[in-house]
Amino acid sequence: MTPQPIWSPVALSNMVDPSTSTGAVVNGAELVVWRDSSGKAHVWEDRCPHRGMRMSFGFVRGDHLACLYHGWQYDTAGQCRHIPAHPQLDVPQTIRMQTFASAERNGIIWAGSTTEADPALLPAEIAGLVPVRSLYADCTMEKALAILAATPLPGVSDAPKIETISENYISLTAGATRLLVAIQSMGDAKLALHLMANEGAPIAALARYAQALRLALETPLAEVA
Amino acid sequence: MSALTLYNYELDENSYRVRLLLSMLGIEHDVYSVNMLPGREEKSPALLALNPCGTLPFIKQGDTVLFGAEAILAHLARHNDASGKWLPIDRPDFSTTMMWLGFAAGPLQAAVKAREVAVFAVGGHLERLKADARAAFRIMDDHMTLRHIEGKEWFAADYPTIADLALIPSFALSRDFNIDHEEFPALRLWLRRFRRLPGFITMPGIPDYH
Ligand code: FES
Repeated sequence: MTPQPIWSPVALSNMVDPSTSTGAVVNGAELVVWRDSSGKAHVWEDRCPHRGMRMSFGFVRGDHLACLYHGWQYDTAGQCRHIPAHPQLDVPQTIRMQTFASAERNGIIWAGSTTEADPALLPAEIAGLVPVRSLYADCTMEKALAILAATPLPGVSDAPKIETISENYISLTAGATRLLVAIQSMGDAKLALHLMANEGAPIAALARYAQALRLALETPLAEVA
Repeated sequence: MSALTLYNYELDENSYRVRLLLSMLGIEHDVYSVNMLPGREEKSPALLALNPCGTLPFIKQGDTVLFGAEAILAHLARHNDASGKWLPIDRPDFSTTMMWLGFAAGPLQAAVKAREVAVFAVGGHLERLKADARAAFRIMDDHMTLRHIEGKEWFAADYPTIADLALIPSFALSRDFNIDHEEFPALRLWLRRFRRLPGFITMPGIPDYH
């Protein structure tokens, strides 16, 4: 399966340490997001070419991602480099990962829909942002946008001013607070909101706002009076 | 002090909680391996005479028997940790430590049961238990998200306590019942930190990154 759209957010940059991996789902496509020891982020299909084990269960060794199952290791280009059961083997070029383009922009790791996704199509750079949190909720994109538009930011009583940056990236402004929301559609009525704010914004209050937002996002529509 | 015996089953998550602290504090002990599956030995008359609840783990030291993982953790930390931090009795973090220890014994046991249903095929409503486990992990992730924003790394204090230790196993084992870690980024960072503490040991289901 191929992730959509062209660039989808998959994690906050500060929540993926160097030499670690995690899973991420974009519209049903299972991805592994990992950082090598130099800190560079990579996004691949979450599937070992050997027997299909989830690579997000694996571990990072230097600039290789190792599969948990039989320890096959893949370099940053997705090429298999080491098979522990056959240490002398010169691993064939054909054993390689399905890789996707990846980029970091505005405090977020973005996954491309193809290996060659065009970085020019990433959202424009915004300076001076700090991380708030990622929020996972069982909810559709439409409903999330409606609730985000209607919910006041902390410390302000009016609904925020909304600016649509792209189909999955919006900006909410109220008073001196600007909240940037990158929306990862994971599948049928499942999504993640990756939240960044301007420096000086009340970060803990925004994290609590997000926690409360999840209740609204997951309340069946009929109950939203 | 007289010899300490742990009544333990290798694949039992609550037994692992106690093994983990024994290892991290370097406490000498004997192990009695209970044939929990398939034998149900913990319900045998001989073991019920020691622990009438018929649960694991329990410990025996001299004439004293203690059951319940959280009570055992508190007891072991109280008598074996010179730093006084794992169970911070005389520190302001005592109350939050006890609160999260209670959480491990309470809402988080849905995760323990979900794993038992998924792995051991014992009876139970898996989907309901999974939903309850996910709700518990969310409470934990929300808490650690706020702690992270405050620059704190552990659940109850500026240092790891038996609260962290009691909470860790359910999250580390959640893939056994098909709950992934990706929805809980703050818990992922916390688990990684905890794994690096001296004396950390794994159990089947928690990968050893050799
Ligand atoms: S499945 Fe990955 S190494 Fe075998």
